[in-house]
Amino acid sequence: MTTHLSESEFVDLAEDALDPRRAAHAETCAACRDQADTLRAALRGTAAVDVPEPSPLFWAYLSARVHEEVAGEPVAAGAGRLWTGTGGLVPLAAAAAMVVAVFSGVLLVRAVRGGGNAVPLVAEHAGAPAPATPDGSSEVAPDAVNAEVWAVLTAAASGVKFEDAHAAGMHVHPGTLDHAVQDLTAAERTELGRLLQSELKRSSN
Amino acid sequence: MLTTRAWSCSAEPGYKVTVTNPTDAELVASCLAGTRESFDTLVERHQRHVYQLCYRFVGNHEDASDLAQDVFIRAYRGLRTFKGQASLGTWLYRIGVNVCLNKVGAKTPKPQSLDLLLAASDQRIASQAESAPDALLRGERAERVRAAIARLPKKQRATLILRVYHELPHEEIAGLLGSSVGAVKANFFHALNNLKKLMGEAGSDR
Repeated sequence: MTTHLSESEFVDLAEDALDPRRAAHAETCAACRDQADTLRAALRGTAAVDVPEPSPLFWAYLSARVHEEVAGEPVAAGAGRLWTGTGGLVPLAAAAAMVVAVFSGVLLVRAVRGGGNAVPLVAEHAGAPAPATPDGSSEVAPDAVNAEVWAVLTAAASGVKFEDAHAAGMHVHPGTLDHAVQDLTAAERTELGRLLQSELKRSSN
Repeated sequence: MLTTRAWSCSAEPGYKVTVTNPTDAELVASCLAGTRESFDTLVERHQRHVYQLCYRFVGNHEDASDLAQDVFIRAYRGLRTFKGQASLGTWLYRIGVNVCLNKVGAKTPKPQSLDLLLAASDQRIASQAESAPDALLRGERAERVRAAIARLPKKQRATLILRVYHELPHEEIAGLLGSSVGAVKANFFHALNNLKKLMGEAGSDR
């Protein structure tokens, strides 16, 4: 004689998910069979009840009510939120890819302009020498590189999915990079130049 | 900016319609970036399921409407905590269940208004060629089931609603209610048994 079905097994039986060997017990045990019939009948009777469909106008009404209430709430801001979607590493990877793409683009520009020689990162503008910084290094003249930089960076960054970059909190649009280059201080440009030079040396070795 | 997905419309040769159809995750991101309108789209997308969930708990339109509104307001306030590990729909279910369990308690539901019952009967008659007496009988039976469900203990009620009407797996219900799968099945077992008893009582009262 096998043991009676447990509560959990009755549920599985009512949902046709019980192991056939255990289900066979209900065939031969009157008490278990009655209990199973009760559950099945309750399940059928419950499942047959629909939610009455409200007036078609109700949905617009509900949306409007929520809209009004939400309008009085502070913006559900989540600045700098990186963890959207499944797997928080994806946005980070996108951000990293974007940085690499930008960096590669600048290197490309430099390689094109310098013919592959390790010349300093100095751009001429209409033949005028770039102004010197206090430490003696030269400044990047942004106007001279803007067009080329933008073209090359657009190509370099084309492999980065916009969704990933957006999910990473990067809101990039045409002109952003131009402004970023122009907004660099002399010291920042110098540092960028130093980084690029060291990267070029490293890659040429 | 949101990703767009485009479908070609073949109604007129050479004519292409582009429909913006952002995903829930994109709408959440947009909303968090400060675009409130994105939340409106989320509401429009999920309000039917949320309303139906609330209706199952309270058994009447008026309370279900208030609860559904409350669910969305709470969702808006807590949007930053949505991690995207589950779908937005599941996340809204979780909020909905909490709101319903907290606000409704074991109170007896208000009876559905006669107008709505008749409107529902009219709809059935029109859509299924059901006779008026049959429709009324069906409506009465549905009312008795709803009333019986509303008298179930909270966790049994939540389990029954999520399992029967929203067809969530036992594991997911366990996650929503903070229980084990075994406890969910036990609750479901007792919910169905109690429902049968309550329906019997209601039937013998008549």
